[in-house]
Amino acid sequence: MNKNLKCPSASGRRTELKGILREAIVVAAAGATLAFVVNAISPRGLTLTRNYFPGATNGIVSAPVLSPITGIKQKGLKWLDGQQTLRLFDDPRYLQHLIVFIDARDGDQYQKGHIPGAYEFDPYYPEQYLATVLPVCQAAEDIVVYCDGGDCEDSQFAAVTLRDAGIPNQKLSVFVGGMAAWTTNGWPVEIGGRNSRNVRKATS
Amino acid sequence: MAAVLARCLVGAVFVYMGCVKALHPVEFLKMVRQYEVVHDPFLLNSIAAALPWFEVVCGALLLAGIAVRGSALILIALLVPFSWMVLHRAVALQASIPFCAIRFDCGCGGGEVPVCRKLLENVFLVLLCGWLLAGRGRNFCVRYRLI
Repeated sequence: MNKNLKCPSASGRRTELKGILREAIVVAAAGATLAFVVNAISPRGLTLTRNYFPGATNGIVSAPVLSPITGIKQKGLKWLDGQQTLRLFDDPRYLQHLIVFIDARDGDQYQKGHIPGAYEFDPYYPEQYLATVLPVCQAAEDIVVYCDGGDCEDSQFAAVTLRDAGIPNQKLSVFVGGMAAWTTNGWPVEIGGRNSRNVRKATS
Repeated sequence: MAAVLARCLVGAVFVYMGCVKALHPVEFLKMVRQYEVVHDPFLLNSIAAALPWFEVVCGALLLAGIAVRGSALILIALLVPFSWMVLHRAVALQASIPFCAIRFDCGCGGGEVPVCRKLLENVFLVLLCGWLLAGRGRNFCVRYRLI
């Protein structure tokens, strides 16, 4: 038997490897093309040039001991605990829209339950919400932004986005405990859209 | 036949994982960010937008038996550095708990999983892709060699 059939030459192997590389390049190009086309036309696509984490400091994300409060302070924002947030919620100015609550979670989470009267504002798709939220925030005296709580930073990014859109920093506060703390305390939760009147006591 | 099954398994896994990530680009963007490998917003967003579709395309090509070795090579090129980053992050998160007790959402599309299980899965996938790259799994292919 011709051994060359079983043992390809070095040049044969090189040619084969080059062929595999070329094939990989073609597949990669096809994948990249599909990716960026879909991203461009999808309503959930990412805006490639946008900074989705405004005010974030590099090297912070994986630091397990960094508290949310430190992150909030580093962004130049104020923070509120649960009792402070509840006082603002019960304040008569809330009904006068001089205090505004901003929910920085995505639409599904908002619909499942939010602080009654809070405005939805997903900071990753701000253009969908700014037209509604911006005038309300401009008219308000105090703005409380929240998300899930814990290590969720979306409330901070939402607050920075509002600040970058012209809302004075002194109006903005971040509710550190977020929705997790709100529901754990058994405070009221509104289901569905804003002012849906479907309000229930949260179950922890 | 075993190699064909391996090809289909790898293809199906990556189609599924890629679709899960592609359907939730913001969540995947947050996951990519947590590895702190890329800080530039444009690069970060591009990786988050493109990487899931690389997985879907390569997975679909493997399932169909098209450009098998090129697709396997790309998947190895994705798996190896990603596994390294998962390991690196797990080491960074390790405090007083055993290494294999660490759980986090690595952004693969499978939710929060024990890190050891994820690393073993990835090693297994790399080995299967290596097997395909070596020239196995040629049966039942639409077009094994694209070029």
